[in-house]
Amino acid sequence: MFRKILIANRGEIGVRIARACRELGIVPVAVYSEADRTAPHVRAADQAVCIGPAPSRESYLDIDAIVAAARETGADAVHPGYGFLAENAAFARAVGEAGLTFIGPAPDAIAAMGDKTRARDIVSAAGVPVVPAVQEPPADPDERLVAAERLGFPLLIKAAAGGGGKGMRIVRAAAEFPAAFAAAEREARSAFGDGRLFLERYFERPRHVEVQVLADEHGNIVHLGERECSIQRRYQKIVEEAPSPAVTPNTRETLTAAAVAAARSVGYTNAGTVEFLYTDGGEFHFLEMNTRLQVEHPITEWVAGIDLVQAQIRIAAGEALWLHQEDVALRGHAIECRVYAEDPAQHFLPSPGRIAFLREPQGPGVRVDSGIVADYDVPLHYDPMLAKLSVWAGDRDAARRRMIAALRDYVVLGVTTSIPFLADLLAHPRFADGATHTHFIDENMPAWQPGAAHTDAAAVAAALYTALAPSTAAPSDSHSTHQPSPWQRLGAWRLGNGGDSV
Amino acid sequence: MHLTFRHRNRHLTAELRRSEERGVFHAAVDGHIFEVEGALLGPFTLRVVIDGRTHTAQVVRVGDAIHVSIAGEVHVFAPGTAAAAETSGPTLASPQITSPMPGKVLQVLVQEGQKVAAGDGLLILEAMKMENRIVAEAAAVVRKVHVNEGEMVDGGAVMMELEYEEEDEPA
Repeated sequence: MFRKILIANRGEIGVRIARACRELGIVPVAVYSEADRTAPHVRAADQAVCIGPAPSRESYLDIDAIVAAARETGADAVHPGYGFLAENAAFARAVGEAGLTFIGPAPDAIAAMGDKTRARDIVSAAGVPVVPAVQEPPADPDERLVAAERLGFPLLIKAAAGGGGKGMRIVRAAAEFPAAFAAAEREARSAFGDGRLFLERYFERPRHVEVQVLADEHGNIVHLGERECSIQRRYQKIVEEAPSPAVTPNTRETLTAAAVAAARSVGYTNAGTVEFLYTDGGEFHFLEMNTRLQVEHPITEWVAGIDLVQAQIRIAAGEALWLHQEDVALRGHAIECRVYAEDPAQHFLPSPGRIAFLREPQGPGVRVDSGIVADYDVPLHYDPMLAKLSVWAGDRDAARRRMIAALRDYVVLGVTTSIPFLADLLAHPRFADGATHTHFIDENMPAWQPGAAHTDAAAVAAALYTALAPSTAAPSDSHSTHQPSPWQRLGAWRLGNGGDSV
Repeated sequence: MHLTFRHRNRHLTAELRRSEERGVFHAAVDGHIFEVEGALLGPFTLRVVIDGRTHTAQVVRVGDAIHVSIAGEVHVFAPGTAAAAETSGPTLASPQITSPMPGKVLQVLVQEGQKVAAGDGLLILEAMKMENRIVAEAAAVVRKVHVNEGEMVDGGAVMMELEYEEEDEPA
C-alpha cells in the first residue's frame, strides 16, 4: 500500500480524497495555485505545494509542476480527482515515467476512451449500441452542411476531446448550423486546446443513465449499478440519483452487461463510468466512457455501501477485487444535488464572491462534500461548483423529501447559489413522478424566479437586524458608493436610547 | 426607523417602531402592517415572530447590503433611495450593460443603433470557463457598444448602453 498520495486537484474532491487517504493510513499531499493558498483542500492535507499562478493552465494543468511536486514530497502515487488532468493520458504517462503510480486506468485506456470517435468504434465492435453520427465532418462548410442534413436535424455538435458540455451545441435547423459549428469549435479549442468536432443524432427527451464499473489489474470487473443524471443545465449535470426511476430489472441486466463489455473492450482498470442515452422503452446508446472518478460518485457509495475513492487506491496498489458481482447489493435510493455559485434566475450566470455565512445541513442520511468554508472567497478561475449535497433513504420519495428538507436547511449567504432552485426542482411534481429527461429544466422551469412568499418577513428581519445589530463601522472602503447608504445616514443608533422610535 | 431597500429589481420600504413591550415592534412593509417580535440569538441569527409565526433567520451584512435566509428563501436587501420607492414601484432595467464578472468578450452580437427585443443576446462573455450570453432585459435600442471582441473586461465594466422603449417597461 502507498505511504503518501499527491492529490492533483482542488475543491471538494481534494478534500474528499484526503479523507479517503487518512482512513487508509496514507499521508495526503495537496497542490494549490496562488489563488488557493488557504482553500479547504489545502487545509485538509498534511503537506501542500504551490504549483503556480491562479490560471489553471499554469497550475492545475501543469503536468511538469505536479509531477515535480510529487517527487519533492516523496509521494508514491498521484490521484487526479475529476476534471483538470484526470483524463489526460500524457499526465498518466508522465506520472508512471516518474516512477509513481497513477490512481486510475492505464494511459492507453484513457487515450482510447478520450477520443470519442475512437471510443465509439471500439465499443461498437464489442457489441455495444452507439448513437448514429458523422464522426469526421468535412472541412468544407458546404459539404459539412450536406453531411449534417444527411444525418438529419435535430443534431448535436460535440467536441472530440470534450466533456462537461463544453463545445456542445444542439442544432434544430440547417440555417443555424454554420454559426453553431463555429461557436462550438471556438469553445472546444479554448477548453481543450483541440477544436475537432463531430455530429450526432439528437434525441428529444432522453434520459442520461450511466453505469459505474470497478476493474482490477487481474481481469476482474464488477458494476455497481446505474445512476441517472438527466437533470442538467448548460449540458452539465446538477441533480443525480441512483437507481434510475426508469430502469427496470430486465433492462438493468442488459445495460450493465453492455457497460462491462465496453470497459473490457479497452482493458479498463480502476473506477470508470460508462454513459448511455436512455429512451423510455428501455432503448440505450453508448455516449462515452469517463475514465475517472465521477463528480456524482457519492450516490453510488450510498446505495452500494462501497467507498469508491478507497477502492480506487486499493486497486491502483495492485489488490485483486475483494468482491464479486453477486456480493454487490444495491439498497434504497440516493440523490445528489450539485451546489453552484450561480444565479438560476439569470441564465445560471456564475456568481463569484465571498461566503459571508455558511450553515450546512445535517441529519441521518445527509452528506455534504464541501469545497467552501465561511469567509472563503470563491475564486473566479475555476468551476463555480461549491459543494455536493447527497442524501440516502429507503425509497425514492423518502430520499426526495429528505433532499428538499436538507436544501431548505442549507444556508449560503454572500454569493448567489443554486440552492433555492434545486429545492423547487426536487419539489416539482414531474420530478416527483420520475419524469426526468435532459431538457427537464427548459421544459418545466423555464422562467424560474426565486420564491417570494416570505419577502415581507425577510424585509422585517433585515430591518430588525439593522436595529438589533447595528453595524460597528460603516464600510468606507466600498469603491463606488456615490451616495451615502441608508445605514450610513441613520448614524450610530442603538436600541434602548430612550426614544420611542427606533 | 424608516428604511428603503432595493430588492430584486424594485424598491420597498420598511418601517419599524418599538412598542411599549421590550422586543416587540410594529412593522410595515410597503404599507402592510405587522406586529413582530425579534431577538438576536447570535451574530448572524435572528428569531422573528411575525403575525404569530416563528422564523429563525440567518442574516449577514455584505458591504452595504443585508442578506437574509428565511424559510429556505434568500433575500438580498441593498440600500435604496426613498425617491425611487415613491415614484416608480418597479424600477427600470439598467440602461448600462455591465460585466457581472471579469471575463473576456468572445462575441458582440449587436451593433449601435440596432433594435433588440427582451431576451435578445447582446454579447457573449467568457468567464469561469463558460460562455455566458448577456441578454437585453427589455425591448431597447443599442446606443453605445464600449467593447470589442477578444477584449478582457473587469467586473462591473460598462460594456454597452441601451435605451429602453418606454411603453415596454420591464418588471
